[in-house]
Amino acid sequence: MSALLDTSALGKRYRRTWALRDCTLTIPEPSIVGIAGPNGAGKSTLLGLAVGLLEPTEGAVTVCGRDPRRDPAALADIGYVAQGAPLYRGFTVGEMLDFARISNPRWDQPLATELLARSSSATQVSALSPGERAHLALALALGKRPALLLLDEPFARLDPLASRELLRLLMEGAAEIGSAVVVATRVLTDIERVCERVVLLGHGHVGLDGTVEELLASHRLLTGARRPLGRIRGVEEIVRERSSGRQLTLLVRTNGPVADPTWSVEQIGLEELLLAYMAPEELPSPQPPEPSRLRWHG
Amino acid sequence: MAWLTWRQHRPQLLATAGLLLLLAVAAVVTELPIRAAYHRHALSSCLPPATRSGCELIVGHFRSEYAARVGMTRYLAVLPALAGLFIGAPLLAREFESGTFRLAWTQSLSRRRWVLSRTLLLALATVVAAALVSALTMWWRRPFDDVGGRIGPHAFDVEGLVVPAYAFFAFAVGVLAGMLLRRTIPAMSLAVGIFVAVRVGVETLLRPHYLAPLHRTADSVAQSARGRDWILENRLVDSVGRQIPTAREDLAIVHAQRARVDPQDYLLSLGWRRAIVFQPNDRFWTFQAIETGVFVLLGALAVMATVALVRRTSA
Repeated sequence: MSALLDTSALGKRYRRTWALRDCTLTIPEPSIVGIAGPNGAGKSTLLGLAVGLLEPTEGAVTVCGRDPRRDPAALADIGYVAQGAPLYRGFTVGEMLDFARISNPRWDQPLATELLARSSSATQVSALSPGERAHLALALALGKRPALLLLDEPFARLDPLASRELLRLLMEGAAEIGSAVVVATRVLTDIERVCERVVLLGHGHVGLDGTVEELLASHRLLTGARRPLGRIRGVEEIVRERSSGRQLTLLVRTNGPVADPTWSVEQIGLEELLLAYMAPEELPSPQPPEPSRLRWHG
Repeated sequence: MAWLTWRQHRPQLLATAGLLLLLAVAAVVTELPIRAAYHRHALSSCLPPATRSGCELIVGHFRSEYAARVGMTRYLAVLPALAGLFIGAPLLAREFESGTFRLAWTQSLSRRRWVLSRTLLLALATVVAAALVSALTMWWRRPFDDVGGRIGPHAFDVEGLVVPAYAFFAFAVGVLAGMLLRRTIPAMSLAVGIFVAVRVGVETLLRPHYLAPLHRTADSVAQSARGRDWILENRLVDSVGRQIPTAREDLAIVHAQRARVDPQDYLLSLGWRRAIVFQPNDRFWTFQAIETGVFVLLGALAVMATVALVRRTSA
């Protein structure tokens, strides 16, 4: 069976700037994937390409093995909630459901009404709170019983309570229909709460991609006295370097246990980890090549 | 899709129906006295080829009595433009403005089907409404068309098949403008601009030449030769057919007045005649068919361009 979402060297250029470049990703089976990144990192572009709203400048994207732009049948497998959850403001909730029923042959009315059990179908869309709007938009996407659910900033503009409620609905719905979920968001706490895998985009490139466990296991915070930095055993790369007074804190990617007693080693939370990759406050200092005479191995 | 189209355009469709109703009431109320006068003066017996004495006077009196009212029907020519403004232009522009195209284009329907079904359903509603307006206008103008003809733009533009064709074209151009500009108000302006330009262009440049115009020489030299035909040219010519400059005509009239001769008799005695180039009234339906074809074709091209753009858009 082909992957639910597969992109290869995918790129999109708007006039002169690349919104997304060289993006290769595969979501082989149902899972919850968070796409993180600051504004303009290419998150919306990636989702827009996956749902066929955008035409790739280079590379290719397939959903369940089908090109969403060339093959309209692919659309039935994709649930998509655009940024800001656009809905017909003059419609009632019930009419929005009718719209979705007409527009989707595989529409699951009982599921959608169950998900919306708490709002009245006679309510005007324009009278809904941001939370209810997001809720309705999500129910419309889930009612398609998609194999792949794409959500673009679903939690933006929601208060924490509404955001938690939406997340609950998302988890319930996705579990019910067994679809893969891709959530593009700046709000990192959401990612930490639900995502099994995180893809970090920055300036249109994939900066980081892995399951949450992998990412947490491969990064450590090192704290120690300020010193000129050499090579530290077990450290693959210094992601962020931060000093306060005589103390130096490093966020590092490890390739083995850090067994240097002059550093105290700590675990790092996912949110802080992603933030460090998204906005490195200080660039890591270039590491000079070590003199060859000091090398006793390799 | 029919339900969705109706639901999304309910205000416009209801407004159209209301406008139709209003027009119908106004038409009936204003027409009744006209029909009464038509029968009272037995105008039908004055229609060609039958002629009876005093007809010219009776017809002239009838026409001048209702001239102001008849003039009003010219304003009906703006109605098709409204279809482009209020039904066509917002069709796609509003989806872009509110971002709902991202919702509509990510359901299971293909974009082609989405845009084509909505466009064709609304086009159908527009055409039906325009056909009703046209039928109503034809009924209303009937007495005047009988005596004054209907091939001239004053009647031709608001009667027959061309009215639905204009409305379809205006609507289609509105939809295309909405697709191109993605904002309702600018799309409305563009749609009206294109519609007026094409409509006036066709009327002044193409329509007079759908069929070769006929020529005749009037026996009189008076300018106001009233008939049922569409007069394209009406010039004073001398006996060998050369046009007489206005200055020379004025001079001749002054001469006649000084000599206390009737100027008309004097001009005729010089061998001068009026050469008239015209389209005869009986070509009405032929011209209607040709002009309808032109606008249906242009409208269809606009719809096809819109569908192609919607399918290809990357946004």
